[in-house]
Amino acid sequence: MAQIMTKPFPIEINHIREKGVVRVTWDDGHLGDYPRDYLRGYCPCAMCQGHGAKIKFVEVPDAKLAEISAVGNYALQFSWSDGHNTGIYTFDYLRSLCPCSSCQESEDGLEGGKE
Amino acid sequence: MGTLSKDVVLEALKKVQDPELHRDIVSLGMVKNLEVSEGKIAFTVELTTPACPLREKIHEDCKKALVGLNGVTDLQISFGAQVRGSKTGAGQTDLLPTVKNVILVAAGKGGVGKSTVAANLAVALKMHGAATGLLDADIYGPSIPMIMGVEGEPKKIEVNGEFKLEPPTAHNLPVMSIGFFLEPEQAVIWRGPMLGKALHQLMADVHWGDLDYLVVDMPPGTGDVQITFSQQLKVSGALLVATPQDVALADVIRAKSMFDKVMIPIIGIVENMSYFICDGCGKKHEIFSRGGAERAAEHFKIPFLGEIPITSSLREWSDKGIPIVVKEPKSEISKIFLEIASKLAGQLSVASEVAKRAQALKIISS
Repeated sequence: MAQIMTKPFPIEINHIREKGVVRVTWDDGHLGDYPRDYLRGYCPCAMCQGHGAKIKFVEVPDAKLAEISAVGNYALQFSWSDGHNTGIYTFDYLRSLCPCSSCQESEDGLEGGKE
Repeated sequence: MGTLSKDVVLEALKKVQDPELHRDIVSLGMVKNLEVSEGKIAFTVELTTPACPLREKIHEDCKKALVGLNGVTDLQISFGAQVRGSKTGAGQTDLLPTVKNVILVAAGKGGVGKSTVAANLAVALKMHGAATGLLDADIYGPSIPMIMGVEGEPKKIEVNGEFKLEPPTAHNLPVMSIGFFLEPEQAVIWRGPMLGKALHQLMADVHWGDLDYLVVDMPPGTGDVQITFSQQLKVSGALLVATPQDVALADVIRAKSMFDKVMIPIIGIVENMSYFICDGCGKKHEIFSRGGAERAAEHFKIPFLGEIPITSSLREWSDKGIPIVVKEPKSEISKIFLEIASKLAGQLSVASEVAKRAQALKIISS
């Protein structure tokens, strides 16, 4: 019932412009560097994803990240320089996207984070 | 082991976890008024809600943790409760600063028994000992006045130089409904702006006083009212009411996508009309099949808080203005409502902890 408390929660979101990544630090000590193109491509909004069951990667070349804001207590919203801002990335989803090598190796990958 | 001291006791209590918040009760700040002298230990565990379903478990765990300490001769554990706030949302100003938790009871469509569920859960929270209020925001079919057996236009009172509406009390709860301002049988055919104004009044101009929980009966579906609420009010989350059929999934998807858009978290799903207990043969009939809401909850990883059966007494007493939990508190269905209320309160405690963490989240650009 209270799985929510055992799930990892982010403590810091750092947009490192120089490197072109968003670094997410989690309260379980995990850390992931998300390239901007990668984040943009996995935008979970219906416009990008349509209504299919599986999350797909939609390539948007040269995606520039303008702003990151918190959504309620459970998600992040990324605003891109082309005006796109409809993607609400829940913390669960964000974690499931983590591009670090140890997360990518584990099988769950994206399946677990599908919203 | 050294002599028995406060530090020794606190250290031992750090092994006791709040089963819902998954942290120890010492670091959660739940241990209060600790006294240790000559082998006697006394303290209060301050629960995060009086409706805590886990009181017994925490009590047992505390005893277990302390009984082995050197020199303990006496142990007195008492319980108190301090409900914590869990409100979030885009609302810029908090129109209800004296209300700690606001719960929107909602459904993707009408006719699922949302108002009955809202009324009984509000009364159940109150019966558990929490200060609770009930707000009927179902502008299209306000049924709370009938279910709670209260009518008439609320009194205007002056609070700190401002005129406020005083909610009438029904079954020990302050209740406010848009229905109080309408002639019976009058239909509301307001358009957006008018609607927004009326809702704003219901939100801003009611003198609720200090409340732990405000249960809001939302209109069915996905529209204007939901958006107004999310923009003008800080809420803790939505409780979805669904029916057992497979179409429940579609309704839940619709409601969920709407609440996602307005950035309100969903804190639980309950299934209403799960089964009918025949008063002739006592057999459970699953009229609308069963488990649709639970499957939807599983699909979206939303906590499933319980199944409410259909009984003729539930319907009958709702029509007479007495919620079933008041009329027949010992009945099976009332036990179910009380249990769901506990679980809901538990989820809100979790939500308050999440709210605290979210406030600490740093978003930076470097």
